[in-house]
Amino acid sequence: MLRISGSAVGVEGEVLTRQVGRFMAANPGVQVETQRTPDDATQRHQLYVQWLNAQVGRPDVLQLDVVWTAEFAAAGWILPLDRFRPSTEDFFPASLEANRWQGRLFALPWFMDVGMLYWRTDLVPRAPVSLDELARFAPAGISDEVPYGIVWQGARYEGLVTVFLEVLGAFGGEILAEDGRVAVASPAGVRALELLRGQIGKIAPPEVLTWHEEETRFAFQNGNAVFLRNWPYAWPLLNEREKSKVAGRFAVALMPAAPGGRPSAALGGAQLAINAHSRRPELAWRLIAFLTAPDQMLERAQVAGQYPPRRSLWEDPRLAEALGVPLQDVRRILESATPRPVTPVYSELSETLQIHLHRALSGQAAPEEALRMAARQMEEILEAAELAQ
Amino acid sequence: MTGRMSDRRLAWAFVAPALAVLALIAVFPLGWAIWESLHRHDLRMPWLGRPFVGLENYLDIAADARFWSALGHTVFFTAASVALEIGLGLVLALAMDRTFRGRGAVRAALLIPWALPTVVAALLWRFLFEPQAGIWFVRPAAAWVPVILADVWKTTPFVALLLLAGLQGIQRDLYESAAMDGAGAWMQFRRVTLPLLRPAILVALIFRTLDAFRVFDLIYVLTGGGPGTATEPVALYAFNTLFQNLRFGYGAALSVVVFLITFGLALIYIRLLRSQS
Repeated sequence: MLRISGSAVGVEGEVLTRQVGRFMAANPGVQVETQRTPDDATQRHQLYVQWLNAQVGRPDVLQLDVVWTAEFAAAGWILPLDRFRPSTEDFFPASLEANRWQGRLFALPWFMDVGMLYWRTDLVPRAPVSLDELARFAPAGISDEVPYGIVWQGARYEGLVTVFLEVLGAFGGEILAEDGRVAVASPAGVRALELLRGQIGKIAPPEVLTWHEEETRFAFQNGNAVFLRNWPYAWPLLNEREKSKVAGRFAVALMPAAPGGRPSAALGGAQLAINAHSRRPELAWRLIAFLTAPDQMLERAQVAGQYPPRRSLWEDPRLAEALGVPLQDVRRILESATPRPVTPVYSELSETLQIHLHRALSGQAAPEEALRMAARQMEEILEAAELAQ
Repeated sequence: MTGRMSDRRLAWAFVAPALAVLALIAVFPLGWAIWESLHRHDLRMPWLGRPFVGLENYLDIAADARFWSALGHTVFFTAASVALEIGLGLVLALAMDRTFRGRGAVRAALLIPWALPTVVAALLWRFLFEPQAGIWFVRPAAAWVPVILADVWKTTPFVALLLLAGLQGIQRDLYESAAMDGAGAWMQFRRVTLPLLRPAILVALIFRTLDAFRVFDLIYVLTGGGPGTATEPVALYAFNTLFQNLRFGYGAALSVVVFLITFGLALIYIRLLRSQS
């Protein structure tokens, strides 16, 4: 018997049950059981770490958040997939990059999340092509009815890092350099943080510093904001005519860049990996290969609205019909997907960065000082983990 | 002689189960936490093993700026909330000490905030402040207002009832003789009520200080320790270290430090109480 764990509620559970059923029908004698785990990322992570530390062979297949792969790989908790010779050409490169550790692939992307810039087609002439244009369009769209130029996730949590990552990339900066060194305290970092801080109280309400995804979606959905930074899940909800005041009056674009920078969309989403202590790794792999095949991904998009990481599907008119999004616009965003640092100590680095970003944004520290302190502490974390370069 | 020995043995036999339970529920976890705190143990980095590091975690704490600021927040929160709770609790107790119609109902109503689970009370105050989240939860000084207000709202009734019990233990004729000696209301309060209420005040102080020092759920729900870490108390820092970062050794050391401080406070109070009686 094989056990798979991950999101198994609502439409996600529905599509998983259906697909697992087909897998069992195609593999007589194989039993697959779905194990529900908490939807809250921190809780699921905690649970996984406890299981894997105890070297339990179940669940055999794990649904991982994109920032966990390196951690689990370095700990020896999940199997490298090379020996199964997965064919990977079809996947968006960033989605694979996030799942590699020390040159080896440890998990296969299952569905993809990216940060997108939602904009009001009735208030903005076109999708901004530069940060300058965004800075002009946002205040120009503000009125008595639409008080906010832009809303984003500014609470002290993982979401803030993804918001920052996009602006940082837009200025050409990065959190960790290619060689693994901390690179966040750069001129680009300071400019990015200054830009976000400058928006607060002017085009973004101070409340954004307490907002997660849903609060920002509500603000945009109620027609209170010109721009919204959010994930793909917001698209169908914002288009529900009974609940949303902006249905049919918005579009999505890639977060624009400054000269010399590159447009970046923070990469999120789920991957599938094999528990290193699974007693049926071959079978586990077959399940992963089945679930990540184009047909299953298309069905997942149709039922749960989740974006497939296979590029070929983005040429498929059936996907456009399933998602209701302009495929080419979204594909452009997916091509610019930017992984968060791929390192086993990501969550600790992120926590440190969250704190210092939040300090700077709430006026407790100057951006430069905050980033310097963050960088120093992040270096200490890498050093303590014996991962410093 | 042998008879007395067996008496003694019998006595030990009688208390043994209680001691065993105590050891199991108090000493064992504490001992385990202390043992854990002497190791470098990071659940997410199994490649580092679980080496014994002696007092290294404690030395790291001594040099940890986030710990010291968390300790500062804890002390500030404790001082501010407990002072307000004792002051307000005393006023409420004095008011309830008088006989008036519906006194029973007032006393019962007073208990409602105290009866609410802290998480529920914290959520309630979070919702109350939510419309102005941009003011209350993004400025370090302002963020303390909902936190302290919620704590005072929730625990003042407890203090008031404790003090009320103390007040009712004061014999009425003491006031009569004080009045005969020409003492006004203020003089009576200062010379009769306050001195005789001191044991009750001290008990309230002990409970409240120790509780406030370990504050966790209230702040976890209300501000999450933010903005930045501007309202993060030590217990929340320890929680984040243990359960978010899964750094068991360091987290255990932080918890042991919280324990040592509250234990020290408890000892001081107990001594004060003893010198009272």
